[in-house]
Amino acid sequence: MADLWRTVAERHGELLNALGQHIEISLTALIIAVVIAIPLAVWVQTHSKIAAILLQVTGVLQTIPSLALLGLLIPFVGIGTVPAIIALVVYALLPIFQNTYIGLQDIDPSYEEAADAFGMSRLRKLFKVELPIALPVILSGVRTAMVLIIGTATLAALIGAGGLGTFILLGIDRNDAALTLMGALAAALLAIVFSWLLNLMQKVNWKLSVGAVAIVVFGLVGTQVYNWATAPKETITIAGKLGSEPDILIHMYKDLIQQADPDVQVTLKPNFGQTSFLYNALRTDKINIYPEFSGTVLESLTKPTAAQQKQVAAGKNNYPLAQQLLAKQGLRYLKPMAYNNTYALVVKASFAKRYQLKTISDLAKIAPSIRAGFDLEFIDRQDGYKGIKQKYGLQFKVDSMDPSLRYQALDRGQINLTDGYTTDAQLRQYHLVALKDDKGLFPIYRGAPLMRSRFAEDHPHLVKALNKLANHITEKQMQDMNYAVSVRREKAATVAHRYLIRHGLLKEAR
Amino acid sequence: MALISLEHVTKAYDGKPVVDDLSLNVEQGELFVLVGTSGSGKTTTLKMINRLVEPTSGTIKFAGKPLTSYPIRDLRWNLGYVLQQIALFPTMTVAQNIAVIPEMKGWSRQKIRQATDELLTMVDLPPAEYRTRMPSELSGGQQQRIGILRALASRPKVVLMDEPFSALDPISRTQLQDMLLQLHRAMKTTVIFVTHDMAEAMKLGDRIGVMHSGKLLQVDTPEAIATQPANDFVADLFKGAQANQGLQVTLSQLAPFAVKVTARHTVGGNLTLAEALPLLDAHETLQVHTDHGSFVVNTHSVVAYLASAFVDQNTETE
Repeated sequence: MADLWRTVAERHGELLNALGQHIEISLTALIIAVVIAIPLAVWVQTHSKIAAILLQVTGVLQTIPSLALLGLLIPFVGIGTVPAIIALVVYALLPIFQNTYIGLQDIDPSYEEAADAFGMSRLRKLFKVELPIALPVILSGVRTAMVLIIGTATLAALIGAGGLGTFILLGIDRNDAALTLMGALAAALLAIVFSWLLNLMQKVNWKLSVGAVAIVVFGLVGTQVYNWATAPKETITIAGKLGSEPDILIHMYKDLIQQADPDVQVTLKPNFGQTSFLYNALRTDKINIYPEFSGTVLESLTKPTAAQQKQVAAGKNNYPLAQQLLAKQGLRYLKPMAYNNTYALVVKASFAKRYQLKTISDLAKIAPSIRAGFDLEFIDRQDGYKGIKQKYGLQFKVDSMDPSLRYQALDRGQINLTDGYTTDAQLRQYHLVALKDDKGLFPIYRGAPLMRSRFAEDHPHLVKALNKLANHITEKQMQDMNYAVSVRREKAATVAHRYLIRHGLLKEAR
Repeated sequence: MALISLEHVTKAYDGKPVVDDLSLNVEQGELFVLVGTSGSGKTTTLKMINRLVEPTSGTIKFAGKPLTSYPIRDLRWNLGYVLQQIALFPTMTVAQNIAVIPEMKGWSRQKIRQATDELLTMVDLPPAEYRTRMPSELSGGQQQRIGILRALASRPKVVLMDEPFSALDPISRTQLQDMLLQLHRAMKTTVIFVTHDMAEAMKLGDRIGVMHSGKLLQVDTPEAIATQPANDFVADLFKGAQANQGLQVTLSQLAPFAVKVTARHTVGGNLTLAEALPLLDAHETLQVHTDHGSFVVNTHSVVAYLASAFVDQNTETE
């Protein structure tokens, strides 16, 4: 609980921002769903066959897992707010459509007969008699849809639409329960508050409610127009994957770009999502730059031939090939930084000192007494434990272990060897060392800014600015910066700025 | 010229006539009652007049012109309608319900308000108290009063009433029948009233049309129906009504059956049996004050009276 309060206190600015995004996405989706579903349900009152089909269709739409729906939408509408809103609208359709349809169907036919006998027109009957009578049922559908939307909108963070889901994902990624809890609680509170507001709307005069909704719609539209109208002439959007390291890197990019061109507006989208989302976002100009690793490029974003794969077999510098293959896709991969963020075998510093361990080969002398805890995926990978057995001829007693638990297990002495990443903050936090991969088993992951070639051609001065980072930042330095952000809870912006100043990449008085 | 006239009107569903070659004239200002058992076609006939149901053949004229020559909304604004289910719009207040048609006709707010208040006063529902009530806050009898006001509000030429009182309790029914007669006298609106209750027909109708199996058997004044029924069916219907009417007699008729006990509760001689029965149930004996003196009755008096009335009726038909 204390953790939670501290997290809220530290991040209240971000929390408010995310809350705003969450409300904006949810309300936009809800209003669109209402505008589609209610007229449709009214229209099908007199077309019972179509109604049956639509009920089926909206029912089926509802059963599509939300993550799958988001994935399916990416090829068509890219990433960001738009697909998130579309997915949420799709989910909200069923409860609103169903309740409106049933609410209208269930009206006592004598009211309809009375309205007809009094010579009411179709529209007058609808607005004066039918909709008011069905209103409680319709509103309960809207309420269901809204709770659903606010809950599902947490997934919007996966595709870079922001919102409260950002904290949940970040919390999971950093194994920070307080952060996850903050996101989840805020979403739950939001659902409760909105549910209550809808209840209130039902009780007060409905002209007042319509007025309130109109103000909200006006506000949403107004915000968009204002943002559009006041946007500076050029905005460069830089995004980063989930985690502290990309967060630090994109802040460095921002500082370097603004130093080179003070007129340019830089928007950062930290914790934007998984590799494929960022890659697609870049190719569709939703974002302009993001830091990517050479190993990932060869593994997920390009299809190197067998010969090329052999050429950069584990341990060899794969950056030139990655750059070459990306160029064919119309992407420019700038110069890489010094560090290699790859797999590592990790032991406690004291343990390394006692047995004089510097490299993986050094483990041979104590292999029988080693108890290792590896992530399931690492155990199964050719460039993981399988490769270690083959290339180093090492065999340990191995427990499979969830990645989030392995460092603590190592710290407590339950295991004395685990797999990790060379820049993990925990290496510093728990006083651990990564053993050198002396036989070159693990693939190389060198980070560099990725952008479209056309963007690079249009902005040569920015390319030059970003290339200042080339061959900077060692593994140890990255570890320290990750530690500062995820353990010491410093701001990524502060940490990035400090590094750039200290290493003369940024002029002090800016 | 008749205000409403039906000429050889037939309505058939799947080839089976529900209303069969029916011709009828309803005159300006009369309270015309269509009476018949369920399935006789009386409600269908009524609904053809405001075109909720379209006839299969034949012509219905309103003020001399076929219904189809009027724009349907104008026609309906001139034909008030009262439903058995009452069907006050549940989301509207009493005043809003009454204002439904005047509003569509584009009356000013002030005129609507004035008309509403006048109407409410006429049916003994003080406007200040009832204007803003919701239908759910009213008793069944009060609801149907508003139902009738809603039909009358825009001063239509004709009011169509489809078994408006059959869902009400006997006391409310009597009250509303009296109220209807009073309103009819005051406003001179033409009323076509459908019921299955012959006693109600006899009480309300200036003229009565008796329907059976889609046919109109007899159209006449209540007196003519009682004295010269067209056939046995009409006669039986009338007799059944008289039996029911037993409860409509006043307590003053019970003088021959008075009992010699004392009573604590005193009532007027003009109270009907229907109204007195609950009181008898509560007090066992009632002191009845009439212009010709005072006497006491109990439940035995009532049973004795009904028995004698029943015997009288049977001897008449023999």
